[in-house]
Amino acid sequence: MSHTAAPPALKMGIPIPNSKLGLWLFLGTEIMFFTAFIGSYIVLRLGSQGWPVDPKDTHINVLLGGVNTFVLIVSSYLVVVAHEAMAQKNFGKARTYLTGTMILAFLFLGIKSVEYLGKIQHDIVPGHIAETPTQAISKVSREMEVVVRKRFREYTDGGAVVTERPNDIVNVVNLIAAIPDGKPPEGMPDYVFREYQATAPGDLELFRKWMNLHQHIVANVSLTVPALPAEYLAARESLKQGDKFPELKYEEVKDLLKEMKANEQYGSYVSAGVFDPHPIVYGNIFASCYFLMTGFHAIHVIVGMILFAVVLKQGSGLDEKWTDFLENSGLYWHFVDLVWIFLFPMLYII
Amino acid sequence: MSHDDHATHHVNYLAIFFVLCGCTALSVVFDVLHMPKPVTIVLVLAVACAKAMCVMMYFMHLKFEGNWKYVLLAPTTILSIGLPLALFPDIGRSYYISVAPQTGVWAPEISDFESHEASHAEVPAAEAEAAPAE
Repeated sequence: MSHTAAPPALKMGIPIPNSKLGLWLFLGTEIMFFTAFIGSYIVLRLGSQGWPVDPKDTHINVLLGGVNTFVLIVSSYLVVVAHEAMAQKNFGKARTYLTGTMILAFLFLGIKSVEYLGKIQHDIVPGHIAETPTQAISKVSREMEVVVRKRFREYTDGGAVVTERPNDIVNVVNLIAAIPDGKPPEGMPDYVFREYQATAPGDLELFRKWMNLHQHIVANVSLTVPALPAEYLAARESLKQGDKFPELKYEEVKDLLKEMKANEQYGSYVSAGVFDPHPIVYGNIFASCYFLMTGFHAIHVIVGMILFAVVLKQGSGLDEKWTDFLENSGLYWHFVDLVWIFLFPMLYII
Repeated sequence: MSHDDHATHHVNYLAIFFVLCGCTALSVVFDVLHMPKPVTIVLVLAVACAKAMCVMMYFMHLKFEGNWKYVLLAPTTILSIGLPLALFPDIGRSYYISVAPQTGVWAPEISDFESHEASHAEVPAAEAEAAPAE
């Protein structure tokens, strides 16, 4: 009995390695994961009464998207030939092809980063986009307030003003600007005080411009209407019975912003802190869809890179034991390519 | 085991690679041609489907796999198609009157803004027409 050879283990299930079966089951869930995003995108787009398609609004770069598509296709090709080289036990060649795939994966992420940066620089970020002229006006005011607060914080942080109340800070900065031969507070070097004196008039003008805009937004009246109480009351007195002041228009705020950005004293601060307030109807949902889909795709690219790095880490020790691992990693990578094949036309072309 | 199976199938991967590159270029050409939007959408998505088929059949070797692929992929495909179809009547078709704030409350304001933008956009075109006459 003991000399009888044991019968071969019965192989249940389908005729592929368990690892490959597991990977395909995982890819099945991944298909549903991405089609949930892509399907929701299609449904949202069809259901919206508008959608930003102008590259001037979306900052979508078809050329960069096309290059990235090409990069992924080349990388997919290199993975498949790497697997073929592994099957032929040519492990050195397989390593070379895989290294090429890794370089292309880095290139893909680099190009994606450039695209993301372009959008962030124009504030094409979910929740940040003004969709109507009124929202654009409010956005300018909010961003300008941040710039003003940042400018005035320089005086409190530097020790020129020892108060936290905004009105007091403005009053003290007013004093600094108004008294050219004023003495620096105790402990403050003279040259620092002189610097404050140089910047104070510009900062005060910036503050007044913002406050003026803010008051006009609150009252929803045109910038042509005076904001100072006495002048405002006089203008209101001169209105005919039943007449109203003209409403604040987006074009007025746009012109004001252009003028402020051109100012020598504070223009650079305004340019750095206040974005182009161009309203983009349905811009936020577009940005959400774009970042959600491309972001999750980029995460998948990174996971693929980790899988390839594990294989490459074997160095000259790479042998046939790794063939199935590389095949499964390759299947995953092709799936990542497959997702991009649909994302490219849907986000960049259509 | 699986790699031995694949070694018996000789696929010209380079040819598949060139087909994929050609299809990508075709997508960009369809975009540049400025055809009617529905035509562009159909053509570009058809090209995407063709590329996806190439990748799945040859790069992912599904052409050479057994019938298990249908068992494994059919449920996920049905669910994937089912999700947008299930969402479509409620969100995509907009069978009710939309009160989206972007187009409802601010509709007159947006149309003012768009007409203003359009009048500014027309200026370069008018200049371009005037240029040859000079």
